[in-house]
Amino acid sequence: MLNRKNPPPRKYIQGIPYIKPKEANLDNGLRVYYLEGGTEDFVKVELIFFAGSYHQPKPLISFSTANLLRTGSLSHSRREINELLDFYSAHLQVEAFKDFVSVSIFVLNKHLEPALELLAELVLRPTFPEDEMRSFLKNQKQLHLINQKKVQHLARTYFSELVYGEQHPYGYRVKPEDFDKPSRDDLAAFHRSWFCPCNAFCIVSGRIPENLEALISGQLGGSGWQDSNKPQPPEYPMLSSGSRKAFLEMPEAVQSAIRIGKQLFNRTHPAYHRLKITNALFGGYFGSRLMQNIRQEKGYTYGVFSNIVSLKRSGFFFISTQVGADVRTPALEEIYREIRELRSRPASGTELESLKNYLGGSFLRSFDGPFAQSERFRELLVFGLDYSHYDDYLETLRNITPEIIMETAKDYLNEDGMMEVVAGK
Amino acid sequence: MVSYKKHTLDNGLRVIVHSDGTTPMAAVNILYDVGARDEEPERTGFAHLFEHLMFEGSVNVDRFDQNLQNAGGENNAFTTNDITNYYISLPAQNIETAFWLESDRMLGLGFSEEKLKTQKNVVTEEYRQSYLNQPYGDSWLLLRPLAYRVHPYRWATIGKNIEHIQEASLGDVKKFFSTFYRPSNAILSVAGNVQPEKIFSLAEKWFGDIPAGTPHVRNLPREPEQDGTKRSSVRRDVPQHQIFMAFHMCERSHPDFHTADLISDILSNGESARLPSRLVHDSKVFSEVNAFVTGNLDPGLLVVAGKPHNGVDIEKAEDMLWKEISDLVHNLASKRELDKVKNRVEATQTFSDSNVMAKAMNLAYYELQGDASLYNYQKDAYSAVSQEGLRRLAREIIREENMSVLHYGLV
Repeated sequence: MLNRKNPPPRKYIQGIPYIKPKEANLDNGLRVYYLEGGTEDFVKVELIFFAGSYHQPKPLISFSTANLLRTGSLSHSRREINELLDFYSAHLQVEAFKDFVSVSIFVLNKHLEPALELLAELVLRPTFPEDEMRSFLKNQKQLHLINQKKVQHLARTYFSELVYGEQHPYGYRVKPEDFDKPSRDDLAAFHRSWFCPCNAFCIVSGRIPENLEALISGQLGGSGWQDSNKPQPPEYPMLSSGSRKAFLEMPEAVQSAIRIGKQLFNRTHPAYHRLKITNALFGGYFGSRLMQNIRQEKGYTYGVFSNIVSLKRSGFFFISTQVGADVRTPALEEIYREIRELRSRPASGTELESLKNYLGGSFLRSFDGPFAQSERFRELLVFGLDYSHYDDYLETLRNITPEIIMETAKDYLNEDGMMEVVAGK
Repeated sequence: MVSYKKHTLDNGLRVIVHSDGTTPMAAVNILYDVGARDEEPERTGFAHLFEHLMFEGSVNVDRFDQNLQNAGGENNAFTTNDITNYYISLPAQNIETAFWLESDRMLGLGFSEEKLKTQKNVVTEEYRQSYLNQPYGDSWLLLRPLAYRVHPYRWATIGKNIEHIQEASLGDVKKFFSTFYRPSNAILSVAGNVQPEKIFSLAEKWFGDIPAGTPHVRNLPREPEQDGTKRSSVRRDVPQHQIFMAFHMCERSHPDFHTADLISDILSNGESARLPSRLVHDSKVFSEVNAFVTGNLDPGLLVVAGKPHNGVDIEKAEDMLWKEISDLVHNLASKRELDKVKNRVEATQTFSDSNVMAKAMNLAYYELQGDASLYNYQKDAYSAVSQEGLRRLAREIIREENMSVLHYGLV
């Protein structure tokens, strides 16, 4: 008779099968890393520039520069670029973050040559046509106005402002009029200063064909792309004072968005791993205390979670949810009760077992395949870390105890300096 | 080419396995052949509400999520108008945990009034969060009943209204389970670092003794041919007008499906496609425009949606949109244009084949349509589409009598 009551035997993960990169330095100083793996004949070629919103002289410059790379270059119009990208079915992905921008291309190996040539053309020789820029900003402004109607979006942007202050690029909240300000020259100057080989690195991942290294060094390593002079990142004072609350009233809302959290530190801090694990128990996965209480027991929300975000020069913790406007007050009470209990109620045996096993499996999954591995490797490069950082995480996870979790909660997730934003009614 | 092995248990459960030795993970997918189209018109949103209850414990296992997390796994599910699909990703070494959990909830659920009540509230919040509290969130709740008069595609998976969800009873839940959640109505697919023989024996061990149940015979009304443009307009607190045009088209398994899909690709897949290139970038009348097919198992829709910039005359914007799409009726698309969208289809499928979860889901979904091997014929089916075939089908679909237009406007 089959025993359906008890779980089948299961094992804790054995370790991570890292794909460690092969490194090459091109003549112009560009560092290139190759991560080989996968089952299908395609690659991702990603260029990362430390040219995020942190580095920009005024709002939206980094975002616009990155997104307008594809709208015109010395030898191609926007129309030609789009036509080539689509014909070679090269998927171009541009992401603009606070600390860096990433420009990557996913392409079948059989179309690699024209796709790489085009990537180099876009990144090295963009022209930022005036009319393309105006039209892009006009469309983005529309999206911005739509987002202003979303309680979740409002809570997120006001929260960052509370945590870092409106003077700091991590805290600055974009305003509708900002979309009218950038000029072509701003973008060209930003590109000239920050999109240079010594301020960049390149990660190639997937089933790497033999000719790829030569293609990369031909397109990205030549004398046509040199540093002007090494750019110096700006410095800003970091705001951190007291606890504050903001209430953004939206009379039409049927739900309120809640965001609560505080400024902490990034993944280079010695307590980062235990903080990350403590956060997971609190609100970092479906089995977490917040989700089990506020969604599964109370039914106040479709979802609630918390997270630790790592930025190059700081880091922060936040809790996020959208709840029925009628249950806003009890939901807030429950969130604060869970914050208090995190330092007083030890994790039970099953709670801890579940947490450790889940995080172990989830960590293994986050390294599944060459593209996932390239993201994890990018994280190391951005923060100047090596693979021992991930080994340390596994070690911390293996040795975590209810006492370490409560102590971490006491040290870092207490109410001191906690900010609260509610958008809705 | 995704290779696989298939085995059917005596109780009718179909099992499909794809081995991929490059990953330490395994993906386990169970597709139940039930969706919102199988709901009673006065009990809509039920298939999706039921999906939530599948996580609330089964006859022998109290906590589905916690037990899966204990094996390093994570999971989720989705409900569409056609199917309900549950999927798990976990380290391959712990795959038996997925069989234990999935088989127990196919055996029977741990129904209770209290769990039902909580999940009714969760789904109500989901309704509010995704459909009511978002700009344009209710557009599909409006477009479906405009385009469909009799077929159950006239309601969305979330349901016609919140009242239907609140009225669901425990009796409804039990009846739904015994009708649809039977082995003969399900497909189990596994992809990852696994051996087919081992998976078949695990399937036999955990699912083999579940009673087959009575197969459900689906008998849905066929949507009659539309005989004139249908129009509707609403006003909401949104920053920009949005125009939707929906055209009836064939079902997923019809030989014309791939042609219809390429029509939508020529219109809007990629920045160089006709609608973004001409209406967003060149004439700058729209800020956003999109075309896609719903890809349903019963006859679906080709939908074109666009947001004209504020200040643009709406009638003029609609005319421009119509002019672009109806061009496919009058003129042949160029060979290069067709090659371009075929290249994109090939790349998209190759990118998706690099992911074991996508492979498991696709194998199950094509098995439901008749045979998992259909998955490997998709590239051929797309590459067989001709310029003339495209125009012939455009003539059938892109007609004013076959069109429903929704204007989602500003207050």
